[in-house]
Amino acid sequence: MLLLPLVMFAQQTVKGKVTEAAGGTALPGVGVIIKGTTIGAATDFDGNYILEKVKPTDVLVFSYVGFNTQSVTVGNNTTINIILTESAESLDEVVIIGYGTTTVKDATGSVAAVTAKDFNKGNIVTPASLIQGRVAGVDIVSDGAPGGGSTIRIRGGSSLGASNDPLIVIDGLPISNSTVGGSTSVLSSINPNDIESFSILKDASATAIYGSRASNGVIIITTKKGKQDFQVDVNIKTGYQTLADKIDLFSAAEFRDLIARRIEEGQTGISLAQLGNANTDWQDEIYQESFTSDNSISLSGAVLENLPARLSIGNTQQPGLRKTSKFERTSIALNLNPKFFKDALKVNFNVNASAEKNRFADGVEGTALLFDPTQPVYDPTSPFGGFFEYHTNGEPNNAPRNPVASLMQRKNTSVVERLFGNVEFDYKLFFLPELRAVVNLGYDRSQGDGSNTLSDQSINGYRPKINTPFLGSYSEYTSERKNSLLDSYLAYNKKFENVNIEVTGGYSYQKFEGEDFNTGNTIDPDAESDVNTHPDVVLIGFFGRTNLSFMDKYLLTLSYRRDGTSRFSEANRWGNFPAAALAWKINEEEFLKDSNTLSTLKLRLGWGITGQQDIPASYAYLGRHLTGDAVSQYIFGETAIVVGIPQSRFEAIKWEETTTYNAGLDFGFANDRITGSAEVYLKESKDLLANVAVADGSNFSNAGWQNIGKFTSKGVEFSLGADIVKTADVNWNMNYNINVNETEIDELALGQDLEVGGIAGGTGSRIQVHREGFAPYSYFVFKQLYDTAGNPIEGAYADINQDGISNLSDRYIYKKPNADITMGFQSAIDYRNFDLSFNLRASIGNYMYNNVNSDRAQYNDLQATTALGNAPTSVLESNFVETSNVLISDYFIENASFLKMDNLTFGYTFNKFQKDLSSIHVFGGVQNVFTITNYSGLDPEIYGGIDNTIYPRARTFLMGANIKF
Amino acid sequence: MKTKNIYKFYFFFGLLFILSACTDDLNVTPKDDDEFLSEAFYAKPTAYKQALAGIYGNLSLTGTTGSGSSNLQGIDAGTSQYVRTLWYLQDLAADEPIWSYENDEGGAVREIQRNTWGPSNTILLGFFSRAMFSVALTNDFLRQSSPEALEARGHTDVLGNDIKAYRAEARLLRALAYYNLMDLFGKAAFVTENDPVGTFQGPQYDRAQLFQFIESELIAIEGDLVAPRQNEYARADKAVAWTILAKIYLNAKVYIGVDKNTECITYSKKVIQSGYQLASNYSLNFLADNDSNEAGRNEIIFATVSDGVVTQNYGATTVIINGEVGSKEGNAAALGAQGWGGALRVRKQFANKFLGGAVPLTDKRNTLITSGRTADIVDVGDRDSGFIITKFKNVTSTGVPGSDPTFVDTDFPMFRLADVYLMFAEAVVRGGTGGTTGEAVAYVNLLRTRASSTLITSSNLNLDFLIDERSRELYWEGHRRQDLIRFGKFTGSTYNWAFKGGSPGGIALPGHFNVYPMPANNLAANPNLTQNPGY
Repeated sequence: MLLLPLVMFAQQTVKGKVTEAAGGTALPGVGVIIKGTTIGAATDFDGNYILEKVKPTDVLVFSYVGFNTQSVTVGNNTTINIILTESAESLDEVVIIGYGTTTVKDATGSVAAVTAKDFNKGNIVTPASLIQGRVAGVDIVSDGAPGGGSTIRIRGGSSLGASNDPLIVIDGLPISNSTVGGSTSVLSSINPNDIESFSILKDASATAIYGSRASNGVIIITTKKGKQDFQVDVNIKTGYQTLADKIDLFSAAEFRDLIARRIEEGQTGISLAQLGNANTDWQDEIYQESFTSDNSISLSGAVLENLPARLSIGNTQQPGLRKTSKFERTSIALNLNPKFFKDALKVNFNVNASAEKNRFADGVEGTALLFDPTQPVYDPTSPFGGFFEYHTNGEPNNAPRNPVASLMQRKNTSVVERLFGNVEFDYKLFFLPELRAVVNLGYDRSQGDGSNTLSDQSINGYRPKINTPFLGSYSEYTSERKNSLLDSYLAYNKKFENVNIEVTGGYSYQKFEGEDFNTGNTIDPDAESDVNTHPDVVLIGFFGRTNLSFMDKYLLTLSYRRDGTSRFSEANRWGNFPAAALAWKINEEEFLKDSNTLSTLKLRLGWGITGQQDIPASYAYLGRHLTGDAVSQYIFGETAIVVGIPQSRFEAIKWEETTTYNAGLDFGFANDRITGSAEVYLKESKDLLANVAVADGSNFSNAGWQNIGKFTSKGVEFSLGADIVKTADVNWNMNYNINVNETEIDELALGQDLEVGGIAGGTGSRIQVHREGFAPYSYFVFKQLYDTAGNPIEGAYADINQDGISNLSDRYIYKKPNADITMGFQSAIDYRNFDLSFNLRASIGNYMYNNVNSDRAQYNDLQATTALGNAPTSVLESNFVETSNVLISDYFIENASFLKMDNLTFGYTFNKFQKDLSSIHVFGGVQNVFTITNYSGLDPEIYGGIDNTIYPRARTFLMGANIKF
Repeated sequence: MKTKNIYKFYFFFGLLFILSACTDDLNVTPKDDDEFLSEAFYAKPTAYKQALAGIYGNLSLTGTTGSGSSNLQGIDAGTSQYVRTLWYLQDLAADEPIWSYENDEGGAVREIQRNTWGPSNTILLGFFSRAMFSVALTNDFLRQSSPEALEARGHTDVLGNDIKAYRAEARLLRALAYYNLMDLFGKAAFVTENDPVGTFQGPQYDRAQLFQFIESELIAIEGDLVAPRQNEYARADKAVAWTILAKIYLNAKVYIGVDKNTECITYSKKVIQSGYQLASNYSLNFLADNDSNEAGRNEIIFATVSDGVVTQNYGATTVIINGEVGSKEGNAAALGAQGWGGALRVRKQFANKFLGGAVPLTDKRNTLITSGRTADIVDVGDRDSGFIITKFKNVTSTGVPGSDPTFVDTDFPMFRLADVYLMFAEAVVRGGTGGTTGEAVAYVNLLRTRASSTLITSSNLNLDFLIDERSRELYWEGHRRQDLIRFGKFTGSTYNWAFKGGSPGGIALPGHFNVYPMPANNLAANPNLTQNPGY
């Protein structure tokens, strides 16, 4: 018995050298593993490896990132030299498109793929940050709040009033853009570490298969799947968050001087007696520096012998910059990918469960800017929990409220549990193997529970009458969103001699449900709770697509979708969305086939029509009545009557349609060491859905959701990726992308202006306008007049309409918030085991309305009702006195072009750590490294172009490790 | 095995077909407990009163979900309240109040109170749309409560005669809206229950057409309206219709170029003879319990409701009372509202109506606070300058504060007997027949007596006296601009007040300012409407 192993399993030592096919150079660090085991080795710097105790039946697997994996059965060999060929991965890379896949090589539409290895590094809390700045024409503006969402715009959006958010599809399940109550954003519950790839479909020929929801582009997120080989991946990351910048205010000392000077200059309503003795920087007081952590572990491998599975657990702790705010997420993802019936039935099962815990902090930036810096944070004699407040014997004065107290005395927390996932059955029909039937069932449910407590010591609490004690406030809420999906389609793929045919046809059903419950303030006996049940939104689609490829040179894609939505009446609810695309792989032609210099050249032309129906109105076509809530009743005699109000009704409401034209040229030089593409596009939206005016008296509002006008978005995109240096020791690759985009409103119903863009500084004030012939959200302002010294003259504006009266009719259009040009640049350098990478992003031609200055930087703001108020120091430049004279001035429209370095990461990899195949990558870095801009406010990057204080973006110093074994 | 697989195949195809049948799911209906298909809403006979309350509610409420909600767009929700915008356009635009936060509505408030308005002013949009919303609500109610509709739902017998009064009241509220629009804009889109819902563009009615409609409509519904003082509080009766008629007749010269003072006297008399009485104390009209105290029972002809618990709104009385709280007086408790730091003050010319010697300072209608303040306002943003008043209060007649420190319980008295007395007197002075100077002097002296002020004689009773007396009695009640126009003092320079035309001293206004410009957005949405001359 003891001899048996020796006889049965003769063991030998195998050695060899691994080289690169192209240059023949040795490849260090290549993994050599005995298949089905964890035994293995890695090549040394000279590409040599040695493996002992190998059996002849063993299969050696040679793998190296960027090269095709090779397997060799040992047999009698003692020396096995291997030449690895580079995987032309960028071109053979599978790209997920709607209801199927393609490859970069065969894609006919404008599709950009970013996979895990290319994701942004650094402090990534929510998924969108992974690709910020990475794809031409995809603009992502993140939020500073912990776990906050991002605003994503692809090619400038295509709607005026309807949603401009792209459709996000996770593992085949289109998710809703409606955030459940208590959650920070729709993507916040997803652990970025679980994401394998993003596919961004930009033009209609690619997106039209999603028909009604594709006008703003589609982002397809694919989560990581189970693999046959066992692997454990551990990520540990910790960060230290700091405040990157503050708004320039008067310090306590400067403030004392300023007040004295202004009194001398004759300003009334302020006095030196109002000054306190403290020196408080209120911006410092409302913010905190804190540690963040992000840890995850994933196990991937085959369970039950051949069921590929992946399990991942992640936890993120992200305290916010604003005191008390916090985001915490724990997520579990499980993927099972079994196959049955001799692989005829493939099942893809993904489930993701997460719990998000939030503590929200009120936006107290405004009060922090205003609060007198000579007053203290704490006051031992204060009846308001020891916080300084302006009061007379406990009765509040009409004055600002202590922002630190506002933060510390409120506890606004939520727990959001989300379960989403899908199961996909992909069945290859036995009698016709070219035909597959696919059924995908998806489900997404979020449940938010929250409570909001205000201390009874707070000056902001509820009280039934003046001159009575404050009672605080307390409310609870629950919120639920459900989204269920059923997709089924048949896919036929057959290769004839010179022709490859792919036909897909199917059906999609999706339903969105939602409900919110709020108790109201339970301390207030008159407050009533209310359940708000959202109308269902149901979307049904029938779709078909044909991909034809002739001689692997000429590609044709035709797709068609017919979509129905519950938002429109039976007569208008169905929309037809066709698309066509042609591609010509020029490099496959004889005259280029053998060229290594120009290794890829593909011309793509696409056209398609997509739709839009995502508006807040769920059934504007129906005649409905709303009954008033408890505080909106009317009293007849002594009886309160619940009022019944008819709701505005637009029977003719129908699809908004966007026609997109796209032409692209993909190219690759030097065996695709340099690749890139150039694209031009034109998007024309008609029947724009917008909430616009209706003739008064005929409907139950003065405005409503109607189809009005036309909108154009056009632009050029260019992206370039290059392996600049590629040697055994040094690898340097970079990526650059640029998008030049222009959007314009071509037509609005009856040519009317729509005033938009609410601002601070007066109830109901607006600063932007939609007008024919201009970019949407253009600033609509007075033209400031200046004196001979170049100083603005307060309240003096050009009489634009020359009627001799200075009024709102003198406003003109000046600049717009959207950038003309956006750029992204990434660089990654590896030197031996060291790596260094950074990202840059630039935005040019975007303007900002500095609402912080327009609302606060005036001398009269030094009087904050009965107290003193601080102001931005920019008042010293403008010397403006009264806000109402200057609020709408173009003086406050500033160029907010910027260059940002989002991330800088430096790392080192220890190979063969502990075990031969294990590795540890340790890294350190900085998130939000620097911003170069002429914008005078805190941050030039604010979606919408109105800077009325923001949740600041932290600068985070990071370190962490990624361990694989 | 093979057959089994064929079944699987059929199963997949079968599934596809079953799914295709689900397109009926696209017909969704409301699921919330506050939202109904209209037919479902009217399934209950009680719905008619709820819908009627909705039309009345449009005078106070801005939406169905609290003070921050609005049925309208293009204007801040709270600011869009019917009586608040009316008050801005009638009082803030004239010589009485001034609003400190001039940048509200992007400076639209500044334009109103400095008389520099243009078509893009959102206060104008707000009132035009709010009044036209009343028209739309009435039209819908008339369609839904037609005899045929009631018959179809089997409600005819249940509702009996009540529905007649409901329908007449709805028509009165529509006439009230058109009266306000005629007064402010001189024109409006004319839409009735016979026009379709949706995007119908009503034809433009000018002042003459609107006048004729309002007059005939109010006379037509007179028989169906409840007798004076016999309806539930806050619901309109015959006397409200008569008061509106008296108003349009008194202003007929302005509206249609014809004097109708005799008709004014006729209808004023009908009101006066309906059993109304002045409350014993002037201030009772403006207190938190003015729905139920002596004034509410006897003097107020029509009021719009406000309530700190069930009818919360940022409407006229909430704004006035919170606005009255001084920047440095600490008089929040006395007014029963926490206040907004001195939002409202008065112009010097108004203060002089009491301080200039025409009446004793002890006239009970004088609620000015002058101590520590200057009469002149140089800088509108300086809330410590200018006198303030305390006429409206969120405190009851027994001194109990209202039910909420922000949303007041005080109703807005749109029409009250004192106004009708002064209208009667004015129509007599203007040469109308049917009333005597003696009666006119007696009515004015009833007001003077109540105010513990000096009495007048027939020699005092002239137009110059009446325009000032109307201000002393009715200030901040939403009449001032209309009165000044009728007296020829609004435009031109016969009477300049602080910030008239924009400058602190006041300058002349061009004649076309006697009507407001048609708001640009409303004009664009209905091409049948034309801009007023001069704008």
